[in-house]
Amino acid sequence: MSHLLHFVEHTLQEVALLIMAIVYTGRLIWLMHYKAGKERQADTGNGNTSPGKGIIYSWFNVAMPWAMESSRRKIFLYFQFVIFHLGVVAAIGLSFVIPYGPHLLNSETLVLLLQVVIGLAFLVGLYRIIRRVSNSYMRAISSPDDYFSLVLLTVWFFFAFWAVPNNTAKGETILLIYFFMTAFFLIYVPFSKISHYLYYPFTRYYLGKTLGKRGVYPVKHYPREVRG
Amino acid sequence: MKATRSYKAQKVLDRMGNKLNRQMVASLAACVHCGMCTDACHYVLANPGDPTYAPAYKADKIRKLFKRHFDWTGRVIPWWVNAKSVYTDEELEELKDTVFGKCTNCRRCSINCPMGVDYATFNRMARGLLVSVGIMPEGVAVVSKDQWEIGNQMGVLKEDYLDTLEWLSEELVDELGDPRAAIPIDKKDADIVYSINPREVKYDPRTISDAARIFYAAGANWTMPSEGWDMTNFGLFSGDDDLGGAVARRLYEKVEELRGRKLVISECGHGYRSTRCEGQNWAGYDLGFEMESSVITMLRYIHEGAIKVDKSRNTEPVTFHDSCNNARSCGLFEEPRELLNLVIEDFREMYPNRAENFCCTGGGGAMSMAEYTPLRLKSAKIKADQLASTGASYVATSCHNCVDGLSDLIKHYKLGMKVTQLVNLVAEALVIPEKEVLVPVEKVPAVSAGPLDGYKILVVDDEPDFVSFASAILEDHGASVVTAFDGNEALEVARRESPDLITLDITMPGKDGKEVFEAMRRDPALESIPVCIITGQPELRKLIYDRSVPPPNGYVDKPISEETLMRNVRKILEIKQKVKK
Repeated sequence: MSHLLHFVEHTLQEVALLIMAIVYTGRLIWLMHYKAGKERQADTGNGNTSPGKGIIYSWFNVAMPWAMESSRRKIFLYFQFVIFHLGVVAAIGLSFVIPYGPHLLNSETLVLLLQVVIGLAFLVGLYRIIRRVSNSYMRAISSPDDYFSLVLLTVWFFFAFWAVPNNTAKGETILLIYFFMTAFFLIYVPFSKISHYLYYPFTRYYLGKTLGKRGVYPVKHYPREVRG
Repeated sequence: MKATRSYKAQKVLDRMGNKLNRQMVASLAACVHCGMCTDACHYVLANPGDPTYAPAYKADKIRKLFKRHFDWTGRVIPWWVNAKSVYTDEELEELKDTVFGKCTNCRRCSINCPMGVDYATFNRMARGLLVSVGIMPEGVAVVSKDQWEIGNQMGVLKEDYLDTLEWLSEELVDELGDPRAAIPIDKKDADIVYSINPREVKYDPRTISDAARIFYAAGANWTMPSEGWDMTNFGLFSGDDDLGGAVARRLYEKVEELRGRKLVISECGHGYRSTRCEGQNWAGYDLGFEMESSVITMLRYIHEGAIKVDKSRNTEPVTFHDSCNNARSCGLFEEPRELLNLVIEDFREMYPNRAENFCCTGGGGAMSMAEYTPLRLKSAKIKADQLASTGASYVATSCHNCVDGLSDLIKHYKLGMKVTQLVNLVAEALVIPEKEVLVPVEKVPAVSAGPLDGYKILVVDDEPDFVSFASAILEDHGASVVTAFDGNEALEVARRESPDLITLDITMPGKDGKEVFEAMRRDPALESIPVCIITGQPELRKLIYDRSVPPPNGYVDKPISEETLMRNVRKILEIKQKVKK
């Protein structure tokens, strides 16, 4: 392994992670300095709902495609969302496995599994790029950050896919690109839309708390039929 | 060169910082522009191919300000995240058209957002910011002013309110032959203080008498307040928390002054949400009494055996429309269905329903924004399709806004359905047992001959059939009727005959009803003559909400029945039924 590859696998990643952690901490402090709205009223709805139940339901809503009409009716989009995010987890996990537990990649099964997940995520990334460019609704709501983040992740998946075997014998270029991109990704994320997962617990917490207090969450009745 | 900013634009930005709370900031920061909310919005579905109706697109009109002035990335590299500021009053006007004209704050996109972004909440915030600098639809300004100054959103004067209650009260006593059926006003220590929507006083008094009939049958210890009786709250629609707090406090304080044990809120979606769920937060007020929807009260009465109902009296197929504020923001969706199934024979579910139901398209104050009526009716196509697919003859709803919104779209799309409220259906099914009468009252016919004796009524309509129909009814009841078939003739006859009441159509050749109405209101010789609008044109709501002259005294939808015509005419003329002793 070259000094450069060692540097990008370790020092560069650690610095990038530190920067990300600092910026995220700042983001959270910034968010928390805004006061949370207070609800004085007594709970509404039937006794099966409560703020606590609403919060739990809301947080795990992401794992219940039947819970929202939008995911029920666009089940293909839901599954590509799942694959895309599993790909992110796999590709990020890879950036820890290679430097700190490379022996794990001796398992051909794990290599295959990671490549399948990341490869599918790459394909989903391509689909998402096409959808964002070709769909007039998506174009209308897209900013340069939306396009760049999506392209960045898709290209990153591409290199992560080839980096999975961690085989330096065939050259280090792929690994170098993957780790440089990972470092850039880690530093860029807190300033981009990709940081949405930082806010997810908050948005879902407050929506769940409100709708739980008001007897809407957890939803007990889903329509037997939906608009055609 | 540094761009200059208008005074109003600067104020909006200054105040935005004070309005933001953690929930809103998280919602404003979290959107990933995934587009999953797009199809959740009835505006999008009714305007295919136009992305400017997409919730995320509309939300970005507000989000761009947040990003430019409050979010890190947007402050440093605004173009990268589409962060933009606002500089001119024209830009604020454009924002007004989005937050008031293209969204009813129904919250359907919020519950369909994978991220939990609550667009409706910050759309309301944006409305409030615009209202704070005087930028709002004219109807919103008028209604807000009435609610601030007169104490209710339709500008009903205290004497008119009390007169109406007195009139309804006497009708009930006569009809039921029992003085205990009277509507109690300002009774102390009542179990129930009943609050209503001013629309009930002005345009739908039957809902009040139906509720009174139910309270009477249940033997309830109840009262209505003489002041602070309006449970609606335009602060919810305008985003003005100060107005919201003041209106809610007025009602809460009245209940406490009367030492009422429970505040029962009549069927109104935004009124229920404002009073039950939001008012305490706006007013910073902790209550010493309970609150509930009248739907829950009626259901309890049936369960407890306090009232008896006979569902065979309601045989027509009925569907139920969930008000967004009741269902999506207050969880009130099972009780109305349970109640309906107890008082009607044929319930037809509408799909989607409950928290996923589509807005009636009249919510969020849309009924008061006449300038957006064509857009509202176009977007109502989704609701119209929903209604039509049920095959029901009636649509019941627990919201006065929805009653108006649904009535308009049913006319517009020629669905031939009727709109009703649960209180009407319960009252219809109500079995009132014979009770001991404390003060004997001789039973008399409900309507005695000639209650309009001595009154002269001008009927204005370009449809000869309608003029004949209305004239015959009014003359049968003793009125002297004069007629006019166009606007100019109406003014001429009104000046010549000085009638006691004018029924006025809106769509007529020549001067239309709106011009005639305004001319009458501005003419010192005619301004005091009561006017009852009778029309099939929903656009006439401009006269009610968006007005430069005092509103009409009554408003009735076509087609009209004899009972409805007479009820409204008698109410306007404050005629009590003549009881033959």
